[in-house]
Amino acid sequence: MTTASSPFPALPPLPAAVRGFIARLPIRPPSALLAAALNRILLPQLPADAAAELAGHAVDIEVRDLGVRCRLILRDGRFHSAPDQGPVTLRIAADTASYLRLLRGEDDADRLFFERALVMEGDTEYGLMLKNTLDAIGPLLRWPILRS
Amino acid sequence: MKERIALTVGPVLYYWPRRALLDFYAAVAESAADTVVLGEVVCSRRHEMRPDDWLALARDLAACGKEVVLASQALLESESDLRGMRRLAQQDEFMVEAGDASALRALAGRPFVLGPHINVYSQPALQEHARLGAVRWVAPVELGLDALALINPPDARVAGGPQGTTPVATEVFAFGRLPLAFSARCFTARHFHLNKDECAFRCIEHPDGLRLDTGEGEPFLALNGIQTQSAAQHCLIGDAPALRAAGISRARLSPVSQHFGDVIDLFERVFNGDADARTAAASLHALSLPGGLVNGFAHRRAGLERMPA
Amino acid sequence: MPASSQATATPPPLRKPQLVCPAGSLRALTLAIDAGADAVYMGLKDATNARNFAGLNFDLAQARDGIAYAHARGRHALMALNTFADARDPARWYRAVDAAAELGVDALICADTAVLAYARDHQPQLRLHLSVQASATTWEAIEFYRERYGIRRAVLPRVLTLPQVDQVCRHSGAEIEVFGFGSLCVMVEGRCALSSYATGQSPNTAGVCSPPSAVRWEDSAAGVQARLNGVLIDSYAPDEPRGYPTLCKGRFDIDGSRDYALEEPTSLNTLSVLPQLMEMGISAIKIEGRQRSPAYVEQVTRVWRAAIDSCAAQPARFGVQPQWVAALGRWAEGQQHTLGAYNRPWR
Repeated sequence: MTTASSPFPALPPLPAAVRGFIARLPIRPPSALLAAALNRILLPQLPADAAAELAGHAVDIEVRDLGVRCRLILRDGRFHSAPDQGPVTLRIAADTASYLRLLRGEDDADRLFFERALVMEGDTEYGLMLKNTLDAIGPLLRWPILRS
Repeated sequence: MKERIALTVGPVLYYWPRRALLDFYAAVAESAADTVVLGEVVCSRRHEMRPDDWLALARDLAACGKEVVLASQALLESESDLRGMRRLAQQDEFMVEAGDASALRALAGRPFVLGPHINVYSQPALQEHARLGAVRWVAPVELGLDALALINPPDARVAGGPQGTTPVATEVFAFGRLPLAFSARCFTARHFHLNKDECAFRCIEHPDGLRLDTGEGEPFLALNGIQTQSAAQHCLIGDAPALRAAGISRARLSPVSQHFGDVIDLFERVFNGDADARTAAASLHALSLPGGLVNGFAHRRAGLERMPA
Repeated sequence: MPASSQATATPPPLRKPQLVCPAGSLRALTLAIDAGADAVYMGLKDATNARNFAGLNFDLAQARDGIAYAHARGRHALMALNTFADARDPARWYRAVDAAAELGVDALICADTAVLAYARDHQPQLRLHLSVQASATTWEAIEFYRERYGIRRAVLPRVLTLPQVDQVCRHSGAEIEVFGFGSLCVMVEGRCALSSYATGQSPNTAGVCSPPSAVRWEDSAAGVQARLNGVLIDSYAPDEPRGYPTLCKGRFDIDGSRDYALEEPTSLNTLSVLPQLMEMGISAIKIEGRQRSPAYVEQVTRVWRAAIDSCAAQPARFGVQPQWVAALGRWAEGQQHTLGAYNRPWR
């Protein structure tokens, strides 16, 4: 069957030793990095009403194949890393390839969800609002620029 | 002296053998019910009663002093469905209850009843239908009593009828498994791995529908051919004061295969007599089908909830 | 044309139906237009339309931009105003009618007689389409709305067989639009209170079905349970594909056997009957999915654009291309296809 070939073919799994090492890292550094990235890329595009609705809820984002887990919260108009303890509204887990396809606007969260390539747990309504908001903004990533 | 809440026996939604159906109506003829709605509203393949049989039954019940209303089918698909509807609309011996917009077209200009599957959710929508000639409105089951009072206020009822001078009466679905949905697909046939066209009329084996439970064994829905119902029985016997306050003058009791005479009797004694609603509710609970009694819709809640009156 | 050449001549090309695509956001709208939609349909950010989900739909500024984008490319923008006006505040629906007229939409898609009457009386220039939520399943029902409210097009509920669709087309004075692809409603649209029975909110009352606010996923050793306001709709083994817990697509027990008692999680796909639909003179084909991502909208629109063009050019030689099937299969709910009621045995 011919499906559009992806510029991101399934990435080879990381060696277990590397995965274990990454997973043992504290949660804060990757969270702080991701928060900084979102503040630069996502925040300027985030409509005020959506920002107001999304604010104040901690979200766990797990990159399964890398064993990386981040916890973020939108507060006072900025993304921050959220404390390890405390309530989490939504937990999202997927592999690198799925995240990249989503960020590049090449895939549909519903589809990945049906296939269990994307796991969303917790407040379903919040998750849908987040999904719809990101869908409306469009691809957050446009690299690498592959022009044919 | 409280105003009478008229009791309407709704159409039998299930497929009962002819004998059972005629026995049922013989008992209804002797009951306190004011109005009887007749006809097959769910599936046009059912044929224990032919159109002329329904008419003959209607005349018998009218002779016993009952007001008879003939109901048109809720989901029309074929030309033959349409012919059946037109045949009802063309007779003028009995009032007709409209099941869909095809029937509205055929009935415009005559007094008629708006069935529960006509989507009236606001006062201007009721006014639109009253202008066609509607004199009675059976509200959609999912509407709360507060909405009914807003749509057809007790102190300023919407004017209907062919001359636009008849105040429209509000009828509420007050007892029975709730008719929740219709489909082109026959779920009873599907359960028995049969095509709808060769369904073998297996629904005749389930006089109160085929029960569907959740994975935890809770009765949830009931399959009645192309219709999906609640497994629980909607029951407003404890809500009579709220009904009166909302301007509701008629209560529809949807037939069940067992103890329906008791149901009519209990509603009559509570709504129009001095019987205690709590005791009557306990009696109805004891007689209820698996799934018990609910009344959430009346209170603008999920339909499966049970609210104290 | 000489009689001799008529026998061998290829049949005349068929008139193309409008391809009507979903737009849950401005981005989906622009992608649909770019992918070849003849028209897009959208809703405002409130309960006046039947896809009232958080983060979805248009505010007035976005609607204005979207309509301008469509019009600049010679396409149509339709607005869905297809819930039933709430008894507590029908004026909100009237304001939405006025807003749609002011925005310059090409048609308003409505179901409620209150809304239709208001539009007819106050915005007479506005073209009206009868929404699928009006449950008009016969030509007489459609005529009722045409004669009374002047509707120009009706969207058919997904309950009729192909011959029945043909019958409606022959007798109706309005244009006919049918669903081509997307999530499948097994119940007659506009006549389903299953969602409000379980959750208190339904398409008719709140523009939602099995609303996300009522959904709860529960992890256990045996897998995941999906609940709707506490009612167990389905359980999934750890590696089993999941579905959104839409009430009618859950697994339930009847007489001790568990199955999808009402409908499996499948999508409607009518590509294979496209030539028949076009021969009947269908005016428009609707793609479902305002709640799906812009990527879905773009890909599905692209396939249907190609299919309609190919069928119109050479109806007799039309065949469903394997790459279309593969592309649509990728986006389908449950990744299964059905012809639904168009095909008799489904019923």
